[in-house]
Amino acid sequence: MKIHAILLAVLLAVPLLPGMTRAAETGQALKADVLRSTPYSDARTTGAIVRGETLQILAKKGAWLNVKTAKRASGWVRLLSVRRGTAGSGSPARGVLDVASGRAGTGRIVATTGVRGLNEEELKGAQYNAAEVKTLDGYAQTPKQGEQFARRGGLRAVKFAYLPEPRGKGGRR
Amino acid sequence: MKHLRMLGFLLGLLLAVCVLPAEALDLGETLKGVVTGGTAVTTGKTGEAPPKAEAVPGEGQPAFSLKSPSQEQEIEIGREIAGNLLGAAPLVGDAALQTYVNQVGRWVANQSERADLPWRFGVIESEDINAFAAPGGYVLVTRGLYRRLENEAQLAGVLSHEIAHVVRSHHLKILKQSQLLDIGAGWVGKRVGTDREILRKVIGSGAEICARGLDRSAEFEADRMGVALTVRAGYEPYGLPEVLQTIGQTGRDESRVALLFKTHPHPDDRLVELDEAIGNRLDAVRGGKTLGNRFYRLKP
Repeated sequence: MKIHAILLAVLLAVPLLPGMTRAAETGQALKADVLRSTPYSDARTTGAIVRGETLQILAKKGAWLNVKTAKRASGWVRLLSVRRGTAGSGSPARGVLDVASGRAGTGRIVATTGVRGLNEEELKGAQYNAAEVKTLDGYAQTPKQGEQFARRGGLRAVKFAYLPEPRGKGGRR
Repeated sequence: MKHLRMLGFLLGLLLAVCVLPAEALDLGETLKGVVTGGTAVTTGKTGEAPPKAEAVPGEGQPAFSLKSPSQEQEIEIGREIAGNLLGAAPLVGDAALQTYVNQVGRWVANQSERADLPWRFGVIESEDINAFAAPGGYVLVTRGLYRRLENEAQLAGVLSHEIAHVVRSHHLKILKQSQLLDIGAGWVGKRVGTDREILRKVIGSGAEICARGLDRSAEFEADRMGVALTVRAGYEPYGLPEVLQTIGQTGRDESRVALLFKTHPHPDDRLVELDEAIGNRLDAVRGGKTLGNRFYRLKP
């Protein structure tokens, strides 16, 4: 009983500790895919993942993630086949925080939430700000300045066609 | 733990731009045939109070038609929307930051079919995670989104998505349709003074257009074009998908993503769509840069 209580306390505390969140990155397979020995599409297959499976993410290289499954299979899988989700980030931690701060259900509205989001009423009531538009104009770059900036970073324009719409998905849905 | 995992399931998605629900689109489509020929309002006495409702169809010259707006008109519309949005959330007061996003954005926009537009990019004071585009080349990213970026390729990915909306006139299409809806509602033909006032009629109040959503197919299209523009600009191709993955980790119930999630398909859906569109098309792309070193980091 006591052990359970301690375990629970640890579980609740972990998401609250900043910096620990990166330690155990997990993800979830968005679709079935194969694991490969190296991050190349023609590399040897080392295993497979099924949709919804939880994966441990070990490394990232370009379009590939090195992952490990619960069954200890490991290998490289395409980045887009996995939804990355770090244990302790996002809403779970938030939920715990809300409970801890008494924000959940006590009616105590806490100002620490800070900034409110941009909401519909706020946007609707927004008034044209001529001074800011002018300031924005002042930062504009010419096409030539854009090129010079790219060159300084070693960027080179590449010919590449727009990606076609996936087949069988024509029109609005 | 199980509880945590379930909540994890609810984690949501990404990048925003302004506009309308799909049903409205279809209605707009049907009205299109009915109201053409640029009925859009004539100039009358200036200083006249804005019309309340009930209007008689006007017969004057069309002062402002969205049927085929000139580039100047398109920019004028975008400027009005951007100016209203800036009224809700001003620019972050960091000239080096603003210059940097304009440099990246301009270079990416150079790779599009509309390099000739006077593109303007800005980071606005909001902890929301969102980005907005307006006709004529206006792109605004929130500080909350910028803060989550890790390198220049990711910034390029975000800006590319917004640039694609402008290139394909996604918002303009929505405006045309909503203008037609308004005509149906009877305001058109009422004499309302200046072009500016007419413009405001078209856009709606403030930046409300930014609180609406484009239809899903427009978002998926902007994602596909965004990846392609990122590649064309010489960046690592996965900048945009990486940002989508990051945003997908934000809880759906958090206010900072409320608007984004309301106006966009879930990030998971967007990633799956992108994956299908990409297939092995990026396998041959080599040498793309992330430029993490050059990335301008916000002061804490």
